[in-house]
Amino acid sequence: MKHALLIFGFTILVSAFYWYVSLWVPQKRTEPPEDIAISADISTDEMIAIGEEIVGGKGTCLTCHTMGESGTGLRFPDLDNIGAIALTRVEGQSDVDYLAESMYDPNAYVVEGFVAGMPDVSRPPVALTDQEILTVIAYLQSLGATPTVTMETQLQWQGQAPTTPAVTPVATGESRDGETIYASYLCNTCHTLDGQAGVGPTFQGIGSRLSKAELYEAVIDPDASITEGYIQGLMLPTVTASRFYDEVTAAELQSLVDYLATL
Amino acid sequence: MILRMLRLRTLVTGCLAIAALLFAADPAWGVPQVAEQEYRALPFISSRVLMWAVAELHLMFAAFVLAVPMFALVIEFIGYKTGDKRYDQLAYEFTKLLSVSFSFTATLGALLTFGLIVFYPTLAQYLVRIFSWTFLPYVLLFFLEAVFLYTYYYGWGKFSPRVHLFLGVMLNIVGTAIMFIANAWLTFMNTPAGVDELGNLTNLWEAINNYTWMPINIHRLIANVAFGGAIGAAYGAFKFLGAKTPEERAHYDWMGYVGIFVAICALLPLPFAGYWLGVEIYAYDQSLGITLMGGTFSWLFIIQAVLIGNLFLAANYYLWLSMGRIPGAERFRRFIKYLLAVITLCFIVWATPHSLVATVEEARAMGGSHHPILNVLGVMSAKNTAVNLLILTTYVSFLLYRRANKEATVSWAKTGNLVQFGIFAAVVIFVVFLGVYGYFVDAQTRIGLSQPQVLSVLFAMVSVTVIDIFLFRNAQSRGRVAWGKIPARSQYALFFLAITFTWLMGLMGYVRAGMRQHWHVYGVVRDTSVDAFTPTLGFAGMVVSAIVVVFFLLIAVVFFLSSLSGQKNWEPGQSKRWFKRRSETAATPLTQ
Repeated sequence: MKHALLIFGFTILVSAFYWYVSLWVPQKRTEPPEDIAISADISTDEMIAIGEEIVGGKGTCLTCHTMGESGTGLRFPDLDNIGAIALTRVEGQSDVDYLAESMYDPNAYVVEGFVAGMPDVSRPPVALTDQEILTVIAYLQSLGATPTVTMETQLQWQGQAPTTPAVTPVATGESRDGETIYASYLCNTCHTLDGQAGVGPTFQGIGSRLSKAELYEAVIDPDASITEGYIQGLMLPTVTASRFYDEVTAAELQSLVDYLATL
Repeated sequence: MILRMLRLRTLVTGCLAIAALLFAADPAWGVPQVAEQEYRALPFISSRVLMWAVAELHLMFAAFVLAVPMFALVIEFIGYKTGDKRYDQLAYEFTKLLSVSFSFTATLGALLTFGLIVFYPTLAQYLVRIFSWTFLPYVLLFFLEAVFLYTYYYGWGKFSPRVHLFLGVMLNIVGTAIMFIANAWLTFMNTPAGVDELGNLTNLWEAINNYTWMPINIHRLIANVAFGGAIGAAYGAFKFLGAKTPEERAHYDWMGYVGIFVAICALLPLPFAGYWLGVEIYAYDQSLGITLMGGTFSWLFIIQAVLIGNLFLAANYYLWLSMGRIPGAERFRRFIKYLLAVITLCFIVWATPHSLVATVEEARAMGGSHHPILNVLGVMSAKNTAVNLLILTTYVSFLLYRRANKEATVSWAKTGNLVQFGIFAAVVIFVVFLGVYGYFVDAQTRIGLSQPQVLSVLFAMVSVTVIDIFLFRNAQSRGRVAWGKIPARSQYALFFLAITFTWLMGLMGYVRAGMRQHWHVYGVVRDTSVDAFTPTLGFAGMVVSAIVVVFFLLIAVVFFLSSLSGQKNWEPGQSKRWFKRRSETAATPLTQ
């Protein structure tokens, strides 16, 4: 018993020592990146400020890239003076296009002496929005040149990221079919299949009354067009409360529309 | 009786866990009928910390349960081939620890499953949908493992040696297969594959065989043996300290030695498996690799250096103390101070950080966060050199231990010694040269230099061992090893090694999960809970310490229950006699 107690005390002592070692190193709590609200009419200076914040935060650019360092030890190109470098780096390509391509399709052009490996920042895990990327381009241009990009600038890569970014745990693995979704979210509470009137219009024959595009709109924006005799503003909060819009993937939404079209 | 109850509990908890999995897997039940909560919280403790502790404890017990059969089988096989009954007895003694540990593993596994379903329902549902097809083989293998484990344990001496060895082989195969399946789930969370951009499953095999699956399988296989050996050694130390007779002390001294020998042998190749794992992480996503090694978690590897440095120091210390029980070892005692000096120096270099925690004034004086002199030692070139020399020095300690009571009788003994010395000298010069050369080349070349360093050290260890085997064939003995004649502090060195191994396992478990940062499944399922932040290393250290203490409390229960099987049956009046004897013993000094 005496030895057991001594050993237990020894265990606590050694564990406490290692805890102390872990307290001795720098203590930093890393918060998840926050989404930044970007309006369409911000000035260039505001774009640069937001872009700088994204480069050091949500974009995680400085995890790999350095700023103002040189030598043979760099694993990725240094970003110092990148605005000036981008003007002439690829012949026939504008600085805005070069910087945009290096974020959307980073392995299309790899700087000599470095190896490919940067991920597409418009997709998870970085998942910058098209607007956020425009502000990053403005900031990078400001490092050695004058920014020419604006929030109206159109880039060929825009709009290609997933329509439902997997930023919340809603991905469902195997897609559910339309009929399952109809049953799961209790659509039949308001919409009958036998032609009887309910809180909402019956689904009987809805496939012949509405096109797939109209069905799609009726699901994602139910107040855009209301069937005569039914109440506006009722379906949206009801469906939202069921977390339908959070949980259903694009593929499942398509399945639901396909199912409704068969009725 | 207690063991039977534990066995029953194992099956019950296993069935409950299976039921929980099936509940979560059933699509009709899994689909939310009402708005489902993404997370649930606890009132007094963060649900993440609770799940962290349960997962880590489950992992530690699972590692132990998988590792012990491996070296128990090898020890049993040695006993079978040599006919030495001591090996068979030792293997059985190790196996006695399995029964209770298996119950604890299953209980903690069930707790982990329930916890995931209760606190992380959406994540659990997602993982269940991806991996639902792997559950059936997992459950079947779990059942088979229970069958093989209990047959292996209860069938000791009841079957022919070959049949019993076959049972041991099957137990190991099934246990390894279970670990491989579970590894697919956890590695998918770090390096997901086989899913589209929305997280929908496209290919189950790709999801299983993701970038880090096989490296983790191999890394865990080796690390489990190191961990199991260390805990087995701790059991030997525990029994040694409480031993009543010289025979008991001799037996448990030997058991502790075998356990730690297994642990150190497994520890030496572990960095190579870790290197492969690191390479695959970088291959999957460079930013993930950089987050791990050069970003948020870079300081964690300084803590790891302290832990591994301590492992080497304690292992060498134990070997030097062990030499005290070997006649003839006094010849080598003079070398110990030099070995200690080299180990200490390597330890210091390895634990030197690249950048320092400094005040503003200090940073200004240094011209940044890098110390003008220490900075030279805080880079990979110096650290790789230090760790390779550390491994080599520990090997030298073992070599001295091995030949302590032997006198070579072969005619070429002097030449053999010179060749061994020459190999050591050449490899040390080569390793140091590459370390210095690394300061003058680019990053890619520098990273590539670690391979020849490691390979040359491996070459030295293998070639010197081969020469040593032939050199000491038919060697003259200076006397038998006096097992049991070793100071008690050597047993505390064994405990220190076991605690440090466990703490290291907890720390690396933390970084493996922590590297995902605010993602449950990296790049696919984001953590939107209040616990999405990455805690400070101090907080992580506190949690790991608490887990280690709880683990050793549970292991103490395992040791206690395992030791019951060797005790005499209770007889009526035994308690009264015990109390009477005890009161008489206590009263004796007063009456004299």
